Amino acid sequence: MSRHHASSPLKRHQDRWGMIFVLPAILFFSLFSFYPIINALFTSLFRKKVLSLKPPTFIGLENYHYLLTSADFWNSIRATIVFTLGTFIPLLVASLILAVLITQMRRGQKFLQMAYYSPAVLSSVVAAAIWLLIFDPRGLANQWVNFVMNTPGVDHKWFADATMVQMATMLVYFWKYVGYFVIIFISGIASIPPTLYEAARIDGSSSWQSFWRITLPLLRPTVVLVSIMSMLQCLKTFSTQYLFTQSGAPQGPINVITMNIYNTGIRDQRIGRASAMSIILFAIMLFFTWLQFSTSKSDEVSY
Amino acid sequence: MNRISLPGVLARIILALALIFVAAPLVFMITASLMPASDIVKMPYRWIPKHLHVENFVHAVAGNDGSFIFIRNIFNSLVVASVVSITTVLISSLTGYSLSKFSYRGRDLVFLMIMATMMIPFEAIMIPLYMVITKMGLQNSYQGLILPFLVNAFGVFMMRQYLITFPNEFIDAARVDGMSEFAIYRQVILPNTGPAIATLAILAFRSQWDNLLWPLLIAQTEKMKTIPLYIVKFTAEMHTDEGAMMAVALIASVPMFILFFALSNYFVSGAAVYSSRKG
Repeated sequence: MSRHHASSPLKRHQDRWGMIFVLPAILFFSLFSFYPIINALFTSLFRKKVLSLKPPTFIGLENYHYLLTSADFWNSIRATIVFTLGTFIPLLVASLILAVLITQMRRGQKFLQMAYYSPAVLSSVVAAAIWLLIFDPRGLANQWVNFVMNTPGVDHKWFADATMVQMATMLVYFWKYVGYFVIIFISGIASIPPTLYEAARIDGSSSWQSFWRITLPLLRPTVVLVSIMSMLQCLKTFSTQYLFTQSGAPQGPINVITMNIYNTGIRDQRIGRASAMSIILFAIMLFFTWLQFSTSKSDEVSY
Repeated sequence: MNRISLPGVLARIILALALIFVAAPLVFMITASLMPASDIVKMPYRWIPKHLHVENFVHAVAGNDGSFIFIRNIFNSLVVASVVSITTVLISSLTGYSLSKFSYRGRDLVFLMIMATMMIPFEAIMIPLYMVITKMGLQNSYQGLILPFLVNAFGVFMMRQYLITFPNEFIDAARVDGMSEFAIYRQVILPNTGPAIATLAILAFRSQWDNLLWPLLIAQTEKMKTIPLYIVKFTAEMHTDEGAMMAVALIASVPMFILFFALSNYFVSGAAVYSSRKG
């Protein structure tokens, strides 16, 4: 900031340009972020259908009341929570382990990072399409599982069974994002000063001890960040579930909130009810975002 | 230091198994795209195609009905992703410049409000956005597909952080030379933000290449659909021609893989920048 200019007319002329430069963004965010979320909040209090000629009727909190007593909505909450927990915990653990192991390697670090990251380059729909074939009764998933568990010829019913189809969606997501989080963890590990490890080694600590006493505690901010980031992503999951159900997987077990919003609002055209769902999703994510900000603030470490 | 230790061997085994897990589906996609369907769902899977079955690609591009609409859909995805990455870069840098190098009343409030939009998930506002776009008469159009993604808060944040450290002397010198404020943005600021722009452009391009939900709402005719929609439709209809399915998947992935191999550092820095985001 060029504060040394004092507030001359020239300076004011310049700053007017600064205000002009920010106008497009103000216009954009007002129209495409703030208006829609306020509109969703407002619409969630009405009974409204898209094509209906009747004006929307104000019904207060009835949409919320309906949702909170609807088995279908609770099923979506359950599906979303199961998916989120079942995905982000393995993601967190696996990517942390892989990142630590990679940083121990003397050669091939770059190659491994890039290789692990490569599924993240694919679009979610492509990832889901590949795994759709892998989960075929005669596909690779059965072949591998049967090989590892020595159970030749067993069909594990990846799509027919309610538990397995949930596992299938988690596996797709895990596969796609594990490398992404490996890279984030590696950049976190890289920021730990190597002198700490040297000091520990001189004091005679093993690399196992170094991991528990140095890496893990100092990586806490990254762990928190990765968990919240992956959690927020998982809560919004849509593509895999959508492609799977479109290709014949049962909808019930994997009917996550976003899919329910889409089906309620667009297919059934119940805009009011879909808006109420959107607001509930927003509230859940707001809570986790708040958690991310508050923890990352208290976690600023200096070495 | 070259002695073989048990933990060292174990680490290598874990890394190798993870590599197989990550790479196998990619290799599967590539090999299956070159096999007839009867070879793909076969036990055990033969990883090397006996002969190259290129008919898959013809089928993939021609589509189920022979309409070749996939080509149009690829074009649509390219248009949407390119336009979005250009506008994201331009508006983010302009806004970031304003928020970092000028002082005016309400500047910090504007920044705070833009940051607040990061907490609004797209999935929660897609229905009202759909109504806005419909009201503007833009459903089933490029404008409708593009408008909600012209810029995003993360881009503004990144450009602002990047430009805060940009030396004021360059800007002042340009002013002394009599350059207009907009010319300074265009000729001094923009050319000096290369790495940030590249990272941002890639993030924006990918997110649109990947976007399924919004085109699902907006694109109503086959002509306006984008690649993800084509894949969903093709997969749902063509469950039996697995080879063509994988050919479609491969075609859809090629541009991203080219970008990835050419600019992998910016892909990675996108992840790293995101992780350094702090309150």
